[in-house]
Amino acid sequence: MRKETKEYNFDWNMWTILENASKTADGFRKEYETLLNYIPNYRNVLDAFVRHGEPGILFLKIIAKYSNDCVRAHIEGRKTAGVTFCFATPVLYAFNIQPVTLEPWSVLGTVVLKRGTSEFLDYCSELGFTETSCSSQRGSLGAYLCDLATKLDFVVYDSPGICDTNANSFAFAASYLDIPFYQLNYPSTLTDERAKEYHHADFKGLISFLEEQTGRKPDMEKLREIMKENKRQDELTCELLDLQRLKPSPMPPIYELMLYGGRFMMNGTKEYTQLLESMVAHTRKKAEAGKAGTTSGNERARGLFCYIDHYTTDGRLWDFLDKRDISHMGSILFNFWQKDSLYAAGKEDEGYNLEDESLEAIIDSLADQMSRMPMVKQIRGPYDAPGMWLDDTLGAINIMKPDFVVYMGTMGCRNTWGMVKPFVRDLEKHGIPTLYIYADSFDDRVQSWEAVADKLEEFLKIRKIIT
Amino acid sequence: MMNEWKEIANTMENTYLRKWKESGRAAVGYPCTYVPDEVIYAADILPYRLRGTGTTSSSIGDTYFGPVICSFPKCVLQLAGEGRFNFLDGTIIVPGCDSMRRLDECWRKAADDYKGILPGFFHYFGVPHKVTDYSLMWFYEETLKLKEKLEKHFGVTITDKALKVAISVYNESRKLLMQLDKLRVKDKPVINGEDALSIILASTAIPRDEFNKMLRKTLSQLEIKKETIKGKKRLMLVGSINDDPEFMKVIEDCGAVIVTDTMCFGSRSYSDLTEEEGDPLFALAKRYLNHAYCPRMFGYYKPRLKNIMDRAKKAKVDGIILQNIRFCDLHGSENGIFERDLEKEGIPCMRMEREYGPLTESGRVKMRIDAFLERIS
Repeated sequence: MRKETKEYNFDWNMWTILENASKTADGFRKEYETLLNYIPNYRNVLDAFVRHGEPGILFLKIIAKYSNDCVRAHIEGRKTAGVTFCFATPVLYAFNIQPVTLEPWSVLGTVVLKRGTSEFLDYCSELGFTETSCSSQRGSLGAYLCDLATKLDFVVYDSPGICDTNANSFAFAASYLDIPFYQLNYPSTLTDERAKEYHHADFKGLISFLEEQTGRKPDMEKLREIMKENKRQDELTCELLDLQRLKPSPMPPIYELMLYGGRFMMNGTKEYTQLLESMVAHTRKKAEAGKAGTTSGNERARGLFCYIDHYTTDGRLWDFLDKRDISHMGSILFNFWQKDSLYAAGKEDEGYNLEDESLEAIIDSLADQMSRMPMVKQIRGPYDAPGMWLDDTLGAINIMKPDFVVYMGTMGCRNTWGMVKPFVRDLEKHGIPTLYIYADSFDDRVQSWEAVADKLEEFLKIRKIIT
Repeated sequence: MMNEWKEIANTMENTYLRKWKESGRAAVGYPCTYVPDEVIYAADILPYRLRGTGTTSSSIGDTYFGPVICSFPKCVLQLAGEGRFNFLDGTIIVPGCDSMRRLDECWRKAADDYKGILPGFFHYFGVPHKVTDYSLMWFYEETLKLKEKLEKHFGVTITDKALKVAISVYNESRKLLMQLDKLRVKDKPVINGEDALSIILASTAIPRDEFNKMLRKTLSQLEIKKETIKGKKRLMLVGSINDDPEFMKVIEDCGAVIVTDTMCFGSRSYSDLTEEEGDPLFALAKRYLNHAYCPRMFGYYKPRLKNIMDRAKKAKVDGIILQNIRFCDLHGSENGIFERDLEKEGIPCMRMEREYGPLTESGRVKMRIDAFLERIS
């Protein structure tokens, strides 16, 4: 690792950037435009958020607050938990624990920093963590392992049985740093009574672990407040999904990132509710005007990203879509399987419902929510089993009517790379043009964004999606 | 006798298997040490551990699996696609890791293109990633389901009595393999790692009672063997699956002897016995979920480190080879921390990434072993 990289803590450095970025729209337009010249490494993505007005600016404020909360957790007497993106955060907030979610940190680093997170990715390998492991964790994990970030008090993760590569990152972190950990472990089925009992028992174990680590019981009042926000957020998410499916889709492509990014960091908080309210209001306006969510207001094609998006330096995927008038119809990260969501219609047993009558009911419903998180739901069993990846993707295709599907992920994703070829073949058999891209959403060195964009362009042209 | 072990180890359809099949009995393949073979054995079915030995191409494996997947499941799928597992009447898939888990879909999808390669019995056996009272109960139910499905598909009844017999046969087998261990760790070992691995491999490919008979004979020969291995560096092998005696040979030909291991085709498969009292199925579930942990069991780093240290000490090793198959992040990453902690204890370690399958890189492996031996001499 370069000497200069070690001069500032990664998270503190990121916080200063994000904090300043969140204030850029507070000044005059001319000031803002001048400022963009000084931030060549992330001006596109910053401008993309600012261009979207209130929701974009609220999102910038959310990530600034989140990074501030992470950096200041210990100063404010809060414990920090290293967690994965598919871990629903309400339970941690209920214990006043600060979730330090590695994947969003990796995204933020790769989007904002000149060299992305390459040095932290490589630092993990220097310590013995395999270079073939998932870059979504490695991108920020390196900073936590080399003591260039807020110390993690413990690790909680919910990916064993879902994605062993993800789980292995957290197991490695806990072993390397010699800190306590708790794993939620999932069976390959979702809806049967046996699986439900397993989820609930395992989640109760998590509660005991958190009690042990914090020395406190869950605060009922706080829990109810979080559940209230959580419920409201579910309602708003469902409404947004409903609007998104219209033709043309009135939801701007970048809202997709804002929806799941906010959720992974601050699910259950008031700030996230405010963001969703703003996103819904703006999308509704576009819908009323019969306009697409793209900058031009037109929709030439609709793309579904069946796994994740592409984030490397300056996050140009959304700009790519916007410039071509392509609506983003969601990714695996976009859907949380609330019982009332469109996706769950006719498949209510696959969704969750938030209950707040008693502590027991709250805990069980949070366990259900956790077990339906993106990826936790879809890739726990054979991809072609009922309620799993293929079923959900076909369901999304049926609802969102995309013109094409794209798989992109990380080269460390053993789980999806293990079956993506037959998966894509199955989608093509259903008549949907599907592309899988050999690239890494967090590491430009595997394949540059420019090469990815070329591949996308070529695919859209050859399959006559955009002529 | 050693030649017979080697022949079994290096042949897919060994003589015992052929005879078994000729007698009209079934064989079921399984991929990892988390499957209680005793349940299969108790059904009078031959449990046969899947290997990818003898692959000369990965054209089929690469068609279904993606590019960044461990070569072990790819080789297994390759052989399946070539019809070389057609002697199997059934296969059990285990979520040993992400790549092994996806053997399920890839095998089934390959069967759409290569007719007749999917055995009539194709079962997904769920294994939790941790040990708790409720995960043990889950695993017990999975074991019960496996038993019932075997009974239904093959039209047999697996009685408690048959399970108890199977447990006793397998425990005996494990005790014999532990005896073999003792001969390997002697100051002057009478058997090298290559030969020991051949014996262990045979335990997964022939009927266990036959295996026990053969091993008893071999042990009695080894116990009086005068010729010992001297002047070699004593090594331990740790990490990803290795079922290739040739790989051991490459290492040992450099001037070493592998005296112990924590491998799944190795001590991990026999170092824990099953309780012979009480409900046999529950005893099996308990043994298999708790047996010496593979890194697929998350959060057991310390017990695994202790296991390595205990075995290394007992075998008086000069060094440890921490190897992993490329894309095996579970072993590969843990090897990184093992190296840190073992070196701290003064045990020299070498980390090595390799490919599974035909030894296409024996030159590189040899060079690295030579360098390691030079370091510890």
